[in-house]
Amino acid sequence: MSLTPSQWAALLPLLLPALGACLIPLMALDKDQATAKWIRGVMYGTALLAVAASFWYLTDLWKTGAQPSFFQLRMDRLAQFSGIFVVVAAALTILQSWDHFHQEGWVKGETLSLLLFSATGMMLFTASTHFVTLFLGLELFSIPLYALVGTVRARPESAEGGMKYFLTGAVASSCFLMGGVLIYGLSGTLDLSAAAGVLKAQGLALDPLALTGAALLLLGFLFKVSAVPFHQWTPDAYEASPHPIAGFMSVATKGVAFIALLRIFPSSLAPLTAVGAKMQAVVAVLAVATLVLGNLTALVQSNVKRMLAYSSISHAGYLMLGFVAGTPAAHTGVLFYLVIYLAMNMGAFGLLTAFGLVGEKTTFEDLRGLGWKRPAMGFAAAVFMLSLAGIPPMGGFYGKYMIFRELVATGHVGMAVLGVLASLVSAYYYLRFLVALFLQAPSAEAERLASDRPAVHAPLAGATVLVCAAIVLAGGFLQFALVDGFAKRALVEGLGLIR
Amino acid sequence: MSGMDAILHGGLQGYLVVALLLFALGLATVLLRRTLLLQFMGVELMLNAANVALLAFARFRGGDAQATVFYLFIIAVAACEAAIGLALVIGLFRHRDTTDSDRAASLKQ
Repeated sequence: MSLTPSQWAALLPLLLPALGACLIPLMALDKDQATAKWIRGVMYGTALLAVAASFWYLTDLWKTGAQPSFFQLRMDRLAQFSGIFVVVAAALTILQSWDHFHQEGWVKGETLSLLLFSATGMMLFTASTHFVTLFLGLELFSIPLYALVGTVRARPESAEGGMKYFLTGAVASSCFLMGGVLIYGLSGTLDLSAAAGVLKAQGLALDPLALTGAALLLLGFLFKVSAVPFHQWTPDAYEASPHPIAGFMSVATKGVAFIALLRIFPSSLAPLTAVGAKMQAVVAVLAVATLVLGNLTALVQSNVKRMLAYSSISHAGYLMLGFVAGTPAAHTGVLFYLVIYLAMNMGAFGLLTAFGLVGEKTTFEDLRGLGWKRPAMGFAAAVFMLSLAGIPPMGGFYGKYMIFRELVATGHVGMAVLGVLASLVSAYYYLRFLVALFLQAPSAEAERLASDRPAVHAPLAGATVLVCAAIVLAGGFLQFALVDGFAKRALVEGLGLIR
Repeated sequence: MSGMDAILHGGLQGYLVVALLLFALGLATVLLRRTLLLQFMGVELMLNAANVALLAFARFRGGDAQATVFYLFIIAVAACEAAIGLALVIGLFRHRDTTDSDRAASLKQ
């Protein structure tokens, strides 16, 4: 079993981060907290190098247009798209975490290693229709994330959030596994796209076991995107984890879960039209519940990270609406929205690091007046919040617009109206963020405390925030180039959905 | 005797019923018990229920090698989950001196 050079080129984007993840713990063997700064620098440098090399190989594959498919791995355009997505999110996270962990005084190499393993798992998860690979990818990215949430062991909330995420996540993984096993049992093949064909040929498409299996698979995906009613873990896990990790979880986990869902449900299980229709109905109901609950709960949060967590739940709702519409254009909209969501959410969590907000809780009180003190960050914050709320010139608006337009075209007018109303409601809590930044003066107590502390120094996090703001603005002004050049090609050439 | 016989000799249904029972039992344990270690055991029970079903199907299909190898992978994954889960339980215990999940409720609005 030897691999050809082109197969190696397809495998290297997955192998390199894993290799980096194996090397970093060796460097972290030294006494952790007191390690010399150059060792920390080398650890972060290695992580960035692994991620950059993976990015280089992925873009190289994308440019040549090769879509190698061998063994259980399918490095088609969609897998390359999600690979680039994950790698960019991981790079932003690594840069932000350098500043965040120094502020928190808890710089550990293990964190980076876990992050890289998680990124590898995410790429694997979206690059296969074979159930074994899917399950291993799912676990490879989930298990490190459980540990990452609880990574700052000194804080009691950290282990608690990790534990909650772990228990719920493990239950969801078991359900996902059971679903796959049931489908295997009926069809006799572990490859889901082959299984769909077998089930259709044998007339077992509406067998209760097959339906249960498909429903359990869907549950696994919906848990990862934190759709209602599987959303309970989200605010706790985000609040407990360090800001950059919360950003990575909100963006990359949701992104790969949606991309894998796209590969499995509308694509691989396409022969099972009856099952697909049933699942679409379930997704429609849950999308409505997610939108309503996510937005209404976000309104009453005083903790910024919990607000962002509920906001990420409501964004899962908008993305699920794209699956309800189910047209190729809607799926393109979902991919485009994911890219913009990556930039705006990584940016929003990066802002917390750039403002130097560490500690137990990050409330709106802590943000007061910071926009004027750091004008560049304040401008970026305005870009992210307006984009998250879906205000026209920003990228977030066009993502929502593409999804809502398709909803109307497929006759789901009521849902489109609900989506627009939900965005209107969401404007309230996003603008509250900006009001705190620009229109409220900090309390005298906070001013006194701030003058005692050393000035915040977070150049890397600040740089990532500006990069994210640039992507969001580019998404607003160059959206057609992005959609046609990137999102649509991933779907057309990767999945062959648009025939 | 005949029922037992069916379960012992190739009756797929018997294995499936056992697997689904184990699965439901595991889920009930996670949802109803309030001790983290027991809830964690419930999770393991759910994973192993899937294993029982997988192996029963594999045997029914004439000893599918792919499924048998998958079973070994699942065992390894369960071990990894156990490592992380126990580490988190210990981490929580150090701060709180309890493994009661109702008392781990500091993350609230």
